[in-house]
Amino acid sequence: MSQGRIFTGEGLLQDTVLDCDVCVVGSGSGGAWLAHELVAQGKSVVMLEEGGHHTRREFDMTEARAYPALYQELGSRTTDDLSVTLLQGRSVGGGTTVNWCSSFRTPKRILERWREQHGVDTLSEAVLGPHWDAIEQRLHIAEWPKEAMNENNKALWDGLGALGYERGLIRRNVHGCANLGYCGMGCPIDAKQSMAVTVLPDAVEKGLQLYANTSARTLTWTGRRITHVNAEVLDPTTNKPTGRVVTVRPKVTCLSGGAINSPGLLLRSGLEAGGRVGRRTWLHPVLISIARFDRPVNAFAGAPQSVYSHHFVERGPGKMGFFLEVPPVHPMLAASISNGSGRFTQALLDQLPQLQVMIALAVDGLLPEETGGTVRVRSGGYSRYSFTYDFTDAHWEAFRFAQKEMAKLQFAAGAREVFTLHADPVRLTSVDQLHLLDEAPWKPLHVRVATAHQMGGCAMGKDPGESVVDPHLRFHAMDNLYVVDGSVLPTSLGVNPQETIFGIARWAAQHVGAAV
Amino acid sequence: MKMYLPPPGGKPSRRGVLKKGLWGGALLTLGGFGALFFRKSVEVPLPPGGLQVLSAREYAVLVVLAQRLLPKRAGAPTVDELGVAATCDSVLAQADATSQKEFKQLLGLFENALANFLLGARPGTFTRMAEDAQEAVLEDWRTSRLSVRRTGFLALRTLVMASYFGNPKAWGAANYPGPPAGVHQPDAPVWRGGDVPRPASSTPLEASQRDAGVAMDAGTSPDVGAGAEPHP
Ligand SMILES: Cc1cc2nc3c(=O)[nH]c(=O)nc-3n(C[C@H](O)[C@H](O)[C@H](O)COP(=O)(O)OP(=O)(O)OC[C@H]3O[C@@H](n4cnc5c(N)ncnc54)[C@H](O)[C@@H]3O)c2cc1C
Ligand code: SF4
Repeated sequence: MSQGRIFTGEGLLQDTVLDCDVCVVGSGSGGAWLAHELVAQGKSVVMLEEGGHHTRREFDMTEARAYPALYQELGSRTTDDLSVTLLQGRSVGGGTTVNWCSSFRTPKRILERWREQHGVDTLSEAVLGPHWDAIEQRLHIAEWPKEAMNENNKALWDGLGALGYERGLIRRNVHGCANLGYCGMGCPIDAKQSMAVTVLPDAVEKGLQLYANTSARTLTWTGRRITHVNAEVLDPTTNKPTGRVVTVRPKVTCLSGGAINSPGLLLRSGLEAGGRVGRRTWLHPVLISIARFDRPVNAFAGAPQSVYSHHFVERGPGKMGFFLEVPPVHPMLAASISNGSGRFTQALLDQLPQLQVMIALAVDGLLPEETGGTVRVRSGGYSRYSFTYDFTDAHWEAFRFAQKEMAKLQFAAGAREVFTLHADPVRLTSVDQLHLLDEAPWKPLHVRVATAHQMGGCAMGKDPGESVVDPHLRFHAMDNLYVVDGSVLPTSLGVNPQETIFGIARWAAQHVGAAV
Repeated sequence: MKMYLPPPGGKPSRRGVLKKGLWGGALLTLGGFGALFFRKSVEVPLPPGGLQVLSAREYAVLVVLAQRLLPKRAGAPTVDELGVAATCDSVLAQADATSQKEFKQLLGLFENALANFLLGARPGTFTRMAEDAQEAVLEDWRTSRLSVRRTGFLALRTLVMASYFGNPKAWGAANYPGPPAGVHQPDAPVWRGGDVPRPASSTPLEASQRDAGVAMDAGTSPDVGAGAEPHP
């Protein structure tokens, strides 16, 4: 097989029709590993990616360049009511180009739950283990050394130690990392082992044809078969359609556009699976706690995430669990995701180097009353969907509890003040003031919630009346359509999702390949 | 076990499509009926490069909103010095058409005298109010019991904050040193396959030669296969 190529919008000046074994829509965690395995099997693969092909040549570590180029909707994706801010990748490499490198295998209890409650009898630690081994080797996934931990993570580490809570060091997919802290803007030295610098170029060497700036708009189908993937070329600068189209006629089609976008493409194509497509989208909704120290923390520098705690991941029946990590803190994101009056944000940002930030990521999708997020097509929208997310009482109970725990951890590590992200920020100056958090409103739009982990919307499962794809990831009502990305997860995970998606995609490649 | 399939080539059914925008029925109409309810807005000079999405009137509203949201302070550039409203306009130019429309409606709603009266019992055209009254209107939106106003405040706040603090000239005010120098290589090779063999710098081996935490390779390798590739 001769070497493939990465095409970009600049070079796609004619309408194009392509025949191939498999068309993969999306080049992120799921799509990249899937395509990598398929070309290794000798299949001809065309990959469509609506984002651009961006490399370290452009990764100058500025937020104002990175978010519009590398994130969905210029970094401003949200729920319809703006109650949840969604950070999601959009470029060659998808989320892996901008993510924070934390790598976890899927917890056993989650795989068991999928087996018991969703009929996913195909996945287990034994099945995924060899795939994870290979992935960890290729992406150099290893524990980040404690000595290299930055002050932001160290505050979490110290707080957890002081309170006697469970704590662990995070494994990262990096190779030759210089501990710079700019993973979220694209690694400037290709140390992060994102898909764009690892398995995608590997696959291009083996024949992958990757079309960047090319957005799949609809699938054409007759009976139980997808016949065409209809895509439009986008102008790399304006992000608007150029009028050129790419039409793919594959034997098998795989959607790897990620949660929200894969369901969106199905909905645009009239494939709704009885209204289940786009439903039950999970977010690991994130509550953020800001602390001010009187020493520099410099949370903008150093590997962004190297410490975690699963101490509260299971909180007993009827309660929503959460896990604790820290985010990197840079001025543009910190200011836009903060809350309160403009003056409050000005005063907060004045002290940026002293700020230490913790996040509690709620483990959603495990309680019976939860319905999660719903994706719908928005008339007149191109890259924007309608997306709503239903909070339950359990979310708010967990958030209030998590805010107290984060404040305790921050004070234990030496914080002088702790602020919530309420519209009226609650300010605490010591652990004796935790009761103030009980008086604050815990409701949508009264306190900011964010997410970088979108999952579900095309849930896998045995029963076609309850799920969208089968336990081998084939769309129930089609013979040659698969979904291979975070959208197939029936619930959230309780750990950062990339390695779960890598593993499932690498495993799924054999089934997709066999369907050609 | 229920199976559902629309007819071949079927369009998304109604339930899959959201018809109304962010603002819902009545509010939307208020924001859009500018001609009827606007008194004259104050005029502000347009940015040198002109406007791509906002009208002159919407731009004027945004300029004033940004001034109130991020008031002047010693030692920090003002929103006007950084051209925050113009930055917002150019960001909006890349945004989805639905987002552009909603943001324009939002600005209309802020300015609209009738809406200010109905929603906040503060009659008057926003840009013509005294500064402290304008601040009070913003505070009304932030703490409103109407979720649609809190949503509007967040939309405005997010865009203005991002436009201001995303500007390197604002970094000093945040005591942010900016990214480390000497790391980014604007001449780094870009490889896109085709007839060009994969250069060493995009294989993992070379990365292993880097010393974590210290220097990077000087990267003198020429541009390989960069730029536009014509489609065969
Ligand atoms: C800031 C940030 C930090 C994160 N940190 C971590 C972390 O530390 N650890 C971790 O495990 N996870 C992290 N994540 C999450 C992780 O990156 C994602 O969960 C994961 O990449 C999702 O994989 P995916 O295959 O489902 O989709 P993605 O990786 O999002 O890839 C989907 C791709 O498909 C493209 N696409 C979508 N629709 C179309 C279409 N119609 N046509 C063409 N192309 C399309 C998109 O542009 C995108 O590039 C982070 C995410 C973000 C945004
Ligand atoms: S912390 Fe490491 S992986 Fe992240 S941007 Fe810096 S060098 Fe790259």
